[in-house]
Amino acid sequence: MDNNLEKIQVQLQKDIDLPYDELKTKYISTNGLLTLAMKAIASIPNDQKAAYGKGINQLKNSVTELLDQKKNQSLIYSPNNRIDPTAPFDVNTPKNDRPQVWDIKGTKHPLHKEVEKLVEIFQRMGFDVMESKQMDDDYHMFESLNFPVGHPARDMYDTFWTEDGFVLPAHTSTMQNRALKQSNPPIRVVLPGRVFRHEATDASHGHTFYQMEGIYVDKGISLANMKATIKTFLEAYLETDLEVRIQPSFFPFTEPDCEFVISCPFCNKTGCSTCGHSGWIELMGCGMIHPNVLTQGGIDPEIYSGFAWGFGVDRLTMIKLAINDIRYLRDSNLNFLRQF
Amino acid sequence: MKISVNLLKQLGKIDKSNEEIVTGIKEHIGEVESYQDLSKDYSDIMVAEIKEKKDHPDADKLGVYQLDTGEKKLVQVLAGDKTLVVGDKVAYLKPGAKVPYTIYTEEKPFIIQSREMRGLLSDGMMGSEKELNLGNDHTIVMRLPDDAPVGKPFAEYYELDDFIIDVENKALTNRGDLFGILGLARELTVIFGKPFVTPAWYTDDTKNLREEQSCLGLNIINDAEALCPRYTAIAMDNIVVEESPLWLKSALIKFGYKPINNIVDITNYISQLSGQPLHAFDYDKVISNDPNKSETANITIRMARAGESILGLDSKVHELNDRIMVICDSTNPLAIAGIMGGSETEVDNNTQRIILESANFDKTSIRKTSMMLGLTTDAGTKFKHALDPNQCIPVLKEAVRMIKESTTGTISSDIVDLYPTISEPREITLSLSNVNTHLGIDLQKDTIVQILKNLEYPIVKQDDDLLTVLAPTWRKDVTIKEDIHEDIGRIYGYNNIDSILPLRNLIPAKDNQIFALKKKIRQIFADSGANETDTHSFTDIPTLEKANLDADKAYKLKNALAPELSLMRTSLIPSLLVKTQMNLQEGYDKFILFEMNIPHIQGYEDENKLPKEDWHLSSVITSIEKRSDSAYYIAKRYLEKILSTLNIQDIEYTLLSEFSEENLSEEIKNSMYMFDRNTSAIVTAGDIVLGIIGEIDNKVKGNFKLPKYTAGLDININALNSIDIKNNKYTEMPKYPESRVDLCVEVNNDIQYKALYDSIYKDINNDDINGKVTCLDIYKESEKADTKRITFSLAIRNFEKTLNDKDIKSITQKVIKRLESNFQAKII
Repeated sequence: MDNNLEKIQVQLQKDIDLPYDELKTKYISTNGLLTLAMKAIASIPNDQKAAYGKGINQLKNSVTELLDQKKNQSLIYSPNNRIDPTAPFDVNTPKNDRPQVWDIKGTKHPLHKEVEKLVEIFQRMGFDVMESKQMDDDYHMFESLNFPVGHPARDMYDTFWTEDGFVLPAHTSTMQNRALKQSNPPIRVVLPGRVFRHEATDASHGHTFYQMEGIYVDKGISLANMKATIKTFLEAYLETDLEVRIQPSFFPFTEPDCEFVISCPFCNKTGCSTCGHSGWIELMGCGMIHPNVLTQGGIDPEIYSGFAWGFGVDRLTMIKLAINDIRYLRDSNLNFLRQF
Repeated sequence: MKISVNLLKQLGKIDKSNEEIVTGIKEHIGEVESYQDLSKDYSDIMVAEIKEKKDHPDADKLGVYQLDTGEKKLVQVLAGDKTLVVGDKVAYLKPGAKVPYTIYTEEKPFIIQSREMRGLLSDGMMGSEKELNLGNDHTIVMRLPDDAPVGKPFAEYYELDDFIIDVENKALTNRGDLFGILGLARELTVIFGKPFVTPAWYTDDTKNLREEQSCLGLNIINDAEALCPRYTAIAMDNIVVEESPLWLKSALIKFGYKPINNIVDITNYISQLSGQPLHAFDYDKVISNDPNKSETANITIRMARAGESILGLDSKVHELNDRIMVICDSTNPLAIAGIMGGSETEVDNNTQRIILESANFDKTSIRKTSMMLGLTTDAGTKFKHALDPNQCIPVLKEAVRMIKESTTGTISSDIVDLYPTISEPREITLSLSNVNTHLGIDLQKDTIVQILKNLEYPIVKQDDDLLTVLAPTWRKDVTIKEDIHEDIGRIYGYNNIDSILPLRNLIPAKDNQIFALKKKIRQIFADSGANETDTHSFTDIPTLEKANLDADKAYKLKNALAPELSLMRTSLIPSLLVKTQMNLQEGYDKFILFEMNIPHIQGYEDENKLPKEDWHLSSVITSIEKRSDSAYYIAKRYLEKILSTLNIQDIEYTLLSEFSEENLSEEIKNSMYMFDRNTSAIVTAGDIVLGIIGEIDNKVKGNFKLPKYTAGLDININALNSIDIKNNKYTEMPKYPESRVDLCVEVNNDIQYKALYDSIYKDINNDDINGKVTCLDIYKESEKADTKRITFSLAIRNFEKTLNDKDIKSITQKVIKRLESNFQAKII
């Protein structure tokens, strides 16, 4: 066996009583003895490489074995140090110090509070709720939504991918196919969830935010139905009458594709900072579900039609609560959280 | 996509105000990014001539100029540009004029004022290209042509009295035809209720150009037919490359292009007009650069080979690969197909002969190449939205016509046209009743037919309800009847469609148990002083390792925004530890953060082979007060608050160090090292492992700089939801008064509280009596003592009578006996 390896083996015998963490650092961290010895194989002459490799493996096995042993040992404690997890409080805790629920201001996160409100309105309108996935596959995120491979519309969504080929949904539409397959029409479902966009963060853009998708599929469902449903929901949520407009837009999974615009509920169309002094707020994308999407969802587009929409919950929350920086929503600062 | 309203009106004969056009685009086509009235931007800017030039007596860097601005008196203007000479024509910005560049870049536009500069008055300013928003040069004053008429408003002279609308590209994603002004003019004309007539040149695809003079050899081979459905080209001779006429330069500036020379400018102009990109190669450079010397220009369209590269018009070297389509000579790439020409065959001032290319490339291939090379060009943007191959020849001919008009150019080859598969218009049949149902409107057949005719859909057949039309080949987006429904709805106007609520049956919506459970937990936790957070799903190796988590179990992002956002978190706890520390620094000394979200563990997959997504309730509880007891118990208190409110009973707590590891879920195996094994417990309900609670491991606390009294809680909400919650039925309430007995029991340390509790409870609850057990105290003489003393208080009632001392004694005896025999307990 190589001299150097032999030395390490001898050292290991001496270190047998070291605690787990120290052993780990000494041998298998980036600069650990074993790690360095493994790296050194590059400098070993070719004719000795095989022997060296064998030596390394032996050494590696001894180290792993010792570490495993240690790891299990460290799980065993003397009973005197242990707590009794079934007790209501610790030994010798004075009566006044026993754990009680703390009398401080607890809060729900403002965004989740809004999600709850939004969902409640839709539930009252007869919609099911299905929460969106946070890691998904290409089929649900793109293909089932009529984004063929290579479609330029894929560029509209700056998507994160994992090395294993999973996608972090860039929109809650990633749930549409599942919602369509889940039951036979009539299908009414809202799909709230966390979505991810590969984009730089500033006061109004985050790489992470929440969306809420909705779909409605039945016989004879029309664009006029879509307009009324979204309007009715928004009026219930914003507690005011609204004027609405629909503008053309483009999404591969709807046909026609629209942008839903409402009269600014804060200034009554006179212009304010919320609506960018235009009197109108573009709130969400929507449209009639594309026949290919229905077909992918196992629904015959010759019999049924439907509409879908999706909006950003962060933006709606920010508008409603006058929050001027989206980053506050993820920052978890108690100065912020306890305001709501 | 920038469009000039002047040009739009010229093409579409649209008689509407700028505002009406903007609204028309917004309501019927797509989002308008911005619009600007150029004439307003350039008000108070005049053409002027330099009449006198002097040095500034007190400032070396300033020149003092007297300008003729068309008024009687000369105007004195100082400038840093000392290269101007008498007779130069310039754009003069009067005091009060806005600097055009600052109108869109600054919060308030910069307004020119008369001001003194080192003792001399400067009564206005002479603009640079950049200040005039006409180019990038800001080092010198922009010179105007010699024939510029002094005193004429600059906007009028430069044909900038126009209105520019920038339509959002995203809204046009599926409309390759709208990347040309012609397409937009068609749409707008129809929106305003008139039929559009496409100019004759655009549909004339006869190859009727014949060589006029010298015959230039042009031999083209298409080895990439799958990705290049059509390639057309023509050679021209006797070209004179020079500066473009003012109208053309002005037009290009309005489209956002930089004028270069007449040939390049014409190709860019026609490209913007029609949506069809064109490219001009220098014919002589093509021939002389070709390693296989030949009299003929040999051009091949093929996929690049690994290792090939090209110096682009952007002066950068682009490495190519076999997924990138290129235009080549016999050996080397000359251009990246559909994206960018090469600088070696660039048209320059000495160019006399050119090859003009008008081709069609596959949108997917162009998009991928553009992404691979990180190269966004105007041509690439147009191609990736799918263009009509049938426009190649007409557009090529129009460019030839313009070049001939502007220089002495002559046609020197026949049109080469490689077009194996002709794109035919698609026949689509729609049902009129279906159109009306789908949109929720009630249009008459005539109206629908008229809209389609106006949009130039030829009608093939019509009966009562069915209508068969041909989708023009420029409408690559129209493939199914619903696409035509959209056209009808869009042109008719979405805002003319009424709001009609759908009618629905009374079947109740389904309950989402997890969502409802989370809602309840949120309420209970918030009511108990905890603050809900919402932290990022992204983390990194150092954060996970600081929390004793195995970073190898995290999914890695292929395209992370930053190293600290490169992994998907495997637990919510580290995020909460970070935020706990942050809030401690903010000065909060006692608080509870919680979050309900989804952690992801690599390899932990659901039945569809997707990452398993269970909801978790995670919480970190901290206080800087000095306490002698373990923080485990506050975590337990909070968990029990939730569980008791939810009416979940029979929960067991097993010390982490005693729990057999093989029974642990992947999730807990992953997260257990964050917790101190001596002071944490696995929480179970029967066979269901709910999660883990307890003190945060000492090393982890150290890593995150957290106080000693810090506990965590991590409960799987899906597991919690799978517990059957008993719907307790009413039991008779005891009528007789309760009797209390206190009992102090000394047992070995390893006897658990719950064992004693259960033993006592069992003995005082049966058909006759009903009892409650509470813990008054748990005492240990010293830390090293082998025994502990627990004092219970028993409250007992009989269903039938008031218990007397004798009854109590007998019950107590029974309790004691069992404790003694089962737990070797000593009663104190």
